Amino acid sequence: MRRNSRWTRVPKPLPRGLLRSVSLTIAGVWLGATQALAAGGGKPESTLVNVADTRQLSPGVGRWIANVYNENLWLYGLTVVIVMVGMGVTLGLLADRVVRMLGINLGRIAHHE
Amino acid sequence: MDFFTIYLPIAGIHFNVLILLLIGFTVGVCGGFFGIGGAWIVTPALNIFGFPMPYAIGTDLAHIGGKSIVSTMRHGKFGNVDVRLGVAMILGTTVGMELGANLVLLLERAGLAETVIRKAYIVFLALIGSYVMYDYLSHRRAQRRAMVEGAAPPSDATFAHRLQRIRIPPMIHFAASGITCSAWLPLLVGLFTGIVASVLGVGGGFIRMPALIYLVGCPTAVAVGTDLFEVMITGAYGAFTYGVKGRVELLAAMWMLLAAAVGAQLGTVAVKYVRGYSIRLLFAITIFVAAGSVLLKQLEFQLASSITILAAGIGISAVIIARLVKGVMDERAGRHHSASGRAQGG
Repeated sequence: MRRNSRWTRVPKPLPRGLLRSVSLTIAGVWLGATQALAAGGGKPESTLVNVADTRQLSPGVGRWIANVYNENLWLYGLTVVIVMVGMGVTLGLLADRVVRMLGINLGRIAHHE
Repeated sequence: MDFFTIYLPIAGIHFNVLILLLIGFTVGVCGGFFGIGGAWIVTPALNIFGFPMPYAIGTDLAHIGGKSIVSTMRHGKFGNVDVRLGVAMILGTTVGMELGANLVLLLERAGLAETVIRKAYIVFLALIGSYVMYDYLSHRRAQRRAMVEGAAPPSDATFAHRLQRIRIPPMIHFAASGITCSAWLPLLVGLFTGIVASVLGVGGGFIRMPALIYLVGCPTAVAVGTDLFEVMITGAYGAFTYGVKGRVELLAAMWMLLAAAVGAQLGTVAVKYVRGYSIRLLFAITIFVAAGSVLLKQLEFQLASSITILAAGIGISAVIIARLVKGVMDERAGRHHSASGRAQGG
């Protein structure tokens, strides 16, 4: 009889305060998570959208760079390398000429410690 | 000043072109002279003027790639780039960087990454600076003693020479450096500097340059040129990887590179007029300032730290340019003197 009563016991209803706090917590977590996702803090970086604002740009190099950036990031990465290498080589050769014009000897140097 | 302000669409900010030119020129001179990328000057400098940190790092790496090409080309013509040695070092550095990254992950898991790394950075900078300064001072003392007492000139038997004598095959001759050693030496030195650079989160130029001098045994000018060869390759890779992640402000990098190319050329040519040990002295001073700047950062004086490093960069560039001007004037005077001597003799 005693054993039976244990199985048939009706569970006590949860206190109202506890229910409210649990539901508030769930709502808070959900809201927080959606806010965090919207702010870009919750998901891996790869899902973020990189967009350059072209509205303030008039046609020119800046606009072209922004368009490449908006269209394809792989192409943008490649563009960065090509532009930097191209500029490096061109400016290097140009600077060489200028220094030579200044009369500085640019031949091989002896290593003095 | 509005005339010089441009809109940078990728970082989404307005920025003064003159600041970009100043930063580019400063790091160009220091980079060409010391054989370093100079990220520790550029990144905080861009950041204090309002560049968001991820874009500051990416933009810095992109312009370092271009700037190092200018310096490496010039150093190559001076005979200061040992390509063989550079390639051997790159192999070791790449493996070392990977090991270092795993070590950082371990430290992160132990919750020690932030504090340990910054403290290690300060200690490491202070150690490198102290050793280079000690080496410079003892060389000067030995030179002075040799002059006064007529004693033997300072000996060339260094720790690097002892390492070169370890004969583990294959032995390789590095022509530009004028050294013959086991291929394992540059590989292991590259591995070591790669681990340290990766753990400290830096490009590693300021570690590799002294390592090439004191561990491999390169002449100072060849250490500078060979290090720049490595910086050029890592910079190009960094530009690509940060570009693909969308964190390079290409327009800013182009402006910086315009000034950096001029600065790099001046810094590189200055190496011709400055003796190896004087380069080491200036390098030691720069490293001490960098250590002070990181210490300020550790003490949470962020602005003071960034201003210190930028001001030091400008100051050191001025010293380098002054040495260059003096060297060029001396060279011209010497040429003029010998021409007039020939005319009198004839």
